Amino acid sequence: MSDIIAPELKIIDPKMTAHNVNVFYGEKQAIKNVSIDVGTDLVTAFIGPSGCGKSTFLRSLNRMNDTVAGARVEGEIKLEGEDIYAPSMDVVQLRARVGMVFQKPNPFPKSIYDNVGYGPRIHGLAPSKADMDVIVERALTRAGLWDEVKDRLGESGTALSGGQQQRLCIARAIAVDPEVILMDEPCSALDPIATAKIEELIHDLRGKFAIVIVTHNMQQAARVSQRTAFFHLGTLVEYDKTTDIFTNPKQERTKDYITGRYG
Amino acid sequence: MNKATSPTDWKGQAMQSRIARRYASERRFKLFGLAAVLISGAFLAFLLITMVGNGARGFTYTHVAVPIDFKEMPLSIDTNRLGDDDADQMIANAGLADIVAFASEEALGSDAASLISENAWKEVRTAIKDDPQLLNGRHNFDLPTSSAVDIAAKTGAKSDVSATVQQLKSEGKLSTGIHWPFFRNADATDPAVAGIWGALKGSVLTILLAFIIAFPTGVLAALYLEEYAPKNRWTDLIEVSINNLAAVPSIIFGLLALAVFINWFGLCQASPLVGGLTLALMTMPVIVIAARNAIKAVPPSIRDAALGVGASPVQVVFHHVLPLALPGILTGTIIGMARALGETAPLLLIGMRAFIGDVPGGLCSPSTVLPMQIFLWSDEVDRGFVEKTSAAIIVLLFVLLSMNALAIYLRNKFEKRW
Repeated sequence: MSDIIAPELKIIDPKMTAHNVNVFYGEKQAIKNVSIDVGTDLVTAFIGPSGCGKSTFLRSLNRMNDTVAGARVEGEIKLEGEDIYAPSMDVVQLRARVGMVFQKPNPFPKSIYDNVGYGPRIHGLAPSKADMDVIVERALTRAGLWDEVKDRLGESGTALSGGQQQRLCIARAIAVDPEVILMDEPCSALDPIATAKIEELIHDLRGKFAIVIVTHNMQQAARVSQRTAFFHLGTLVEYDKTTDIFTNPKQERTKDYITGRYG
Repeated sequence: MNKATSPTDWKGQAMQSRIARRYASERRFKLFGLAAVLISGAFLAFLLITMVGNGARGFTYTHVAVPIDFKEMPLSIDTNRLGDDDADQMIANAGLADIVAFASEEALGSDAASLISENAWKEVRTAIKDDPQLLNGRHNFDLPTSSAVDIAAKTGAKSDVSATVQQLKSEGKLSTGIHWPFFRNADATDPAVAGIWGALKGSVLTILLAFIIAFPTGVLAALYLEEYAPKNRWTDLIEVSINNLAAVPSIIFGLLALAVFINWFGLCQASPLVGGLTLALMTMPVIVIAARNAIKAVPPSIRDAALGVGASPVQVVFHHVLPLALPGILTGTIIGMARALGETAPLLLIGMRAFIGDVPGGLCSPSTVLPMQIFLWSDEVDRGFVEKTSAAIIVLLFVLLSMNALAIYLRNKFEKRW
C-alpha cells in the first residue's frame, strides 16, 4: 500500500518536473519515488500530515537540502528542462531562479530597503542606485507592502509586524525576478488577518511566477491553489486539480485526511 | 479516608509552616547574594584606595632649585652639534656631571651628593639641548632630589635626611611637580629617572602584534570550523584540542616560544616581536572559542534567508553571519587581549624580564612589558620604587579599563536590535 504511485496528472507547460525522486537523511528515507510536475501559471499546494515529507520535497526543488548534513537526493528534478542536480547547474543561480519564503518570517536585521535590495545587489541586477530604487519599489508594490512602508524604507525590517515581515520576505524573494516561488507554510506564524493578506497576494502573483505552497491548512490549500498534491509517509498519494482533491478524492487515504480522520 | 485521598488543606498548620520556610529560604538566599556583592565590592575599594593612595605619589617628584653659572664653569662644547645623534655623549664627555655636582655643593652644602639624584645632570643636559642659550649665563635649575629626600619630603617620614629636608623646605628651595621623566623614560636604577614609557610602549607593541596575528587567524579558523568543515572525527579532534589549548597554563606557551621562535627560528630575544607571537599563540584558542560561540548563536533562519535569495556561502558568511556575530567575537577577543596584556609568565621565558634601559624603538628591539615592569620594580631595594610600582599598577589598570570600555562600546555599536 505504501508504494502506491499517484496517477499521473498531465500538466500542460510545466515549469518544474520531478521524476522518481528519493530523498534520504542519512539512512532514513524521507521521500519515496515522487514524480510530479509543477505548472507555470498555477499555484500548486502540497498538503499532508506533519512529517509526511512535503517540506523536504519542497526544499529539494531549490537544493536547500544541500545545506543539511547527510541529505541526499536521487532521481531527476528539472527546471525548464534543465536538471538542477546536474554538475553544470550553479546552485547559487538556481536559488535565485527558484526563490523561497520560509515558515517563520526571517527578514535580515537591516533596513527594509536593504532587505529587498540584497538579492538584486549580489546578482548585479541593479547597476545604479536609480535602478535599485525602481526594483525595490516594484518588488514592494507587488508584495502589497509599498504603501505601508514607502515612508520608512530606512527602518529595520525586523521592526515590522509579523504579517508585514512575511510580505517583506516575499518582496525580497520576487526582487530577483525568480521563475518559481516556493513557500514553506508561509502563514503558520501569522494571525488570520495577516494570513488573508498573504493569500490575496498569492492570488495576485499567480501567473507572474509559478508558485508552490506547503500548508497544513486544507482550507488555505483549497482557497489559493489550482492543483493539490497530497503527501503521506514520504509518498505522493494523490495529485489532482484542487477541486477534485477536495470534492472527489480518488484515494482512500486522501479522503480520510481531508475529512479529518487523521493528520 | 486516608491522607492521600483527603482534600488538600491549603490553610492548615503544615501548609503555613511550609510557606514560612519558603519565605525564609528566599530571604536567606538574597542575603547571601548581597553579602557576596558587598565583600567583593569592599575588596575592590580597598585595592583601588591603596593603589591610588600609594600610586598618586609615584606620579610626582620633589625637585630642589640649584643655580648653575656657566660663565664661571664653562661647558666647552660645540653648540652646533647639539642636534647630532652623539650629542648626549659629547655633553657627558665635557664634564657636565661634575659641573652640576659642584654647583649643588655650593648651593646645598657638602652633603649635596646625597640630596641630589645622581642622574640630576641629565635633566640639565636635556634643558641645554632644548635651549643652548642657557650656557651663556646663570640660571636656576630644578634638579630631581635623591629618592631618600623625595620620600622624606612627600611623606614626612623620619630618616637621615629629614632635618636637611625640613631646612630646605623652610628656605623654599623644594618644589613638588609632576614627574615627567616617568612618562618619558624606560627603566633605570634610579627612581628619579625611571619611567614607565619603555614598558608601556613594549606592551602596546606586543599586544598590537598579538591582536593582528590572533584576531584574523582565530576568527577565520572559527568561521571555517563552523561554516565549512565537515562534522567528522577530525574536526571533533580539532575542537577538543582547541578547548585544551585554551586551558594550557601560560608558562608552557613561554617554553614553546623559547624553543620555536628563539632557538629554532632565531628571532630577536626579549623583543615585542617574540612577545607578540607568544601572546598570539596563547590568545588564539580563546578567540576561536568565543567566535565559534558567537557564530553558533546567529539564527539559522538568517542563513536560510540569504541562501534562499541566492547568496553564495561566502556571501552568507561575510554579509550576514559575521556582522551578526561580531559583537560577541569582539567581546571575547578583548577579554582575551586583556588577559594577554596582564600576562607575565610566558614572557619571563623569552627574556622580557631583563633590565631594559631604553625605550624600544621597534618590534625587534629589547623591551619589557607593564606587568613585568611592575614585577621588576617591586623587587627593587630603593624605597623610591615602592611608589613607582603602585604608579605602574595604576597605568596598567588604566590601560585594562580602557580596553574593557572599548569592548563595551564596540559591542553596543555593532549589536543589532531584533
